[in-house]
Amino acid sequence: MTRYIIRRLASALAVVYVVISISFFMIRLMPGNPMVALEEQLQLEGGLTMQEIQAKVSAIYALQPHAPLWQQYFTYVAHAFQGNLGQSVSDPGTSVVHIIAGALPWTIFAVSLSLLLSFALGVGIGSFMAAFQEHRSAKIVTLIVSFLGAVPNYLVAILLLYFLADLHHVFPLGGAYSASTTPGLNLPFLSSACVHAALPVAAYVITSFGGWALTMKGSATSVLGAEYVRAAQAWGLGRRRVTQSYVGRNAMLPMVTSLALSLGFMFGGSVFIETYFTYPGIGYYLIQSVTNRDYSLMMGCFLLITVAVVVSNMLVDLLYPLIDPRIQGPGKVQRVKVQSAAKDSGTLPQSGGLS
Amino acid sequence: MSSFLRSLWTAARRDKAAMLGGVIITMFIMLAVFGPLIAHLNPTPSGANAYRGPSIRDPLGTDALGQNVLAEIVLGTRPVMEIGLLAALLTVSVGVVIGLVTGYVGGVLDSVVMRITDVFLTIPGLPLIIVIASLVQSSNPLVLALILSVTAWAGLARAVRSQALSLRSSDFLEAARLQGLPLHDVVIRQLLPNVGPYVAIHFLLDVTGAIYAEVGLFLLGIAPVSGTNWGEMINVAMSQGALFTTRSMYSLLAPMAAIVILQVAFVFFARALDVVFNPRLQSQ
Repeated sequence: MTRYIIRRLASALAVVYVVISISFFMIRLMPGNPMVALEEQLQLEGGLTMQEIQAKVSAIYALQPHAPLWQQYFTYVAHAFQGNLGQSVSDPGTSVVHIIAGALPWTIFAVSLSLLLSFALGVGIGSFMAAFQEHRSAKIVTLIVSFLGAVPNYLVAILLLYFLADLHHVFPLGGAYSASTTPGLNLPFLSSACVHAALPVAAYVITSFGGWALTMKGSATSVLGAEYVRAAQAWGLGRRRVTQSYVGRNAMLPMVTSLALSLGFMFGGSVFIETYFTYPGIGYYLIQSVTNRDYSLMMGCFLLITVAVVVSNMLVDLLYPLIDPRIQGPGKVQRVKVQSAAKDSGTLPQSGGLS
Repeated sequence: MSSFLRSLWTAARRDKAAMLGGVIITMFIMLAVFGPLIAHLNPTPSGANAYRGPSIRDPLGTDALGQNVLAEIVLGTRPVMEIGLLAALLTVSVGVVIGLVTGYVGGVLDSVVMRITDVFLTIPGLPLIIVIASLVQSSNPLVLALILSVTAWAGLARAVRSQALSLRSSDFLEAARLQGLPLHDVVIRQLLPNVGPYVAIHFLLDVTGAIYAEVGLFLLGIAPVSGTNWGEMINVAMSQGALFTTRSMYSLLAPMAAIVILQVAFVFFARALDVVFNPRLQSQ
């Protein structure tokens, strides 16, 4: 188990390292070197000596602009691992890490709340669809759910904004909390934060619970046909016992593996949802920095979204053996993951006569 | 091929939603091909015609600049479909080749390539696409398609690899090996037909994924646009203050409806393919 954890940590670090490298080379090798451009701009503005300009540029990009390429690279990577991502270009003097640290809690709050709600909703509806497959209402629900799953989340965000915030002022237009409240553990602030998060969360949930419901339905249907369920029924175990302990628990396994995958998707979707609701999370700042050509902040946001996804992936992988006792040894998680992912997509040609 | 079409027809007849999806996709493909021949933008739109309601001349009304919304929707079909299909084609080609070769060859190649694949599988796709698109600033459809498929291939590569792995020990591949067939022959003629169904469904879903990201890029104004497309229509509508008036209803909702209809059509059509390739589902 220890070896497994160490290997998992190492691969997580490797992904972070690769992303830091991608960040470096994308800024450094893009047409019209932004560091030289910034230097020239500062020279034109005047009032600073050449040395001051260079110190400023190197503080913003967290590297020495005129050092050899390999040296720039190592400085950048070393700084990044120490948590120094440079300073914002459009907001000089403010460190990127400072901006991100202010934004991250809001994204985590909105994304985890949405994930929780859509997961619970999806499991409930999915179980219903699996239990009453032949029933007319289940078929209608399936149709609605697959429709909603195909609608892009930014369109739902625009619709909610249009009808509930702009035309009819049911919900606030944007921001994370009302300016009249003071952040802290007090009721006005907390309720204001919830009201402000309502529409972003609704946009996430409306577009993602359908996917959960369909996965749950597929998974529960395949478990319902399993031999051990029939055996449990043959023993005369109660209906409740069979559904909860035999069907429910086993059907949940592939759901937990998809949790990790969907987190990445939700952090990605935060880019749109936070931008439209001007919700000051990490996705909002990513788009802000893209439009302001604030490259150091942009790369910082991108790096942090990746780290968040990597960490949550790792957590799920480490927790997985706890809910599925069949997986204990190192390296087994991956294999089971691939198989179950392939299985619940339901599109694999049957392999040999094993089934 | 004809037997495939016949069973597809049978499946579509049983599943009305899938049939509708197929019809809608065909319709949009026709629009993408012939749209520029039938629809024409008003060369001199004027603000005096802004936000007109539906009429015979403008069946979907006009937008904030007085432009005919229906003509814009028709003309916007081509770039959306073109980039979406191109990106899905790239994604599928890369994913299938990498998956089949690594799964079949195995060994060091397999473990090295799969490590790289795992990294791409973990990096969240959309933020990376946004960052690259903002740095590259290209309106070339091929470049955009390449950017859109930057991480999408990894999932398919993994799934295809695990199938290639399980096929590796089968008798027909053993026979092919004993005959001394070259690698590309084994991959193309023996392995590919076996993963074809899975890949076909993946292709359809990749199109929806690519259209989602592509429209998103235009929506936020990150990728430079040449000509009309649905994402840019919404972007223009929003920047003209469409969200603050009910008069903008048609110009805002029409491109959104077009996107939703196309996406849903692809998803429902993929379901029919699923039934054709996976006869076990039919009995349910």
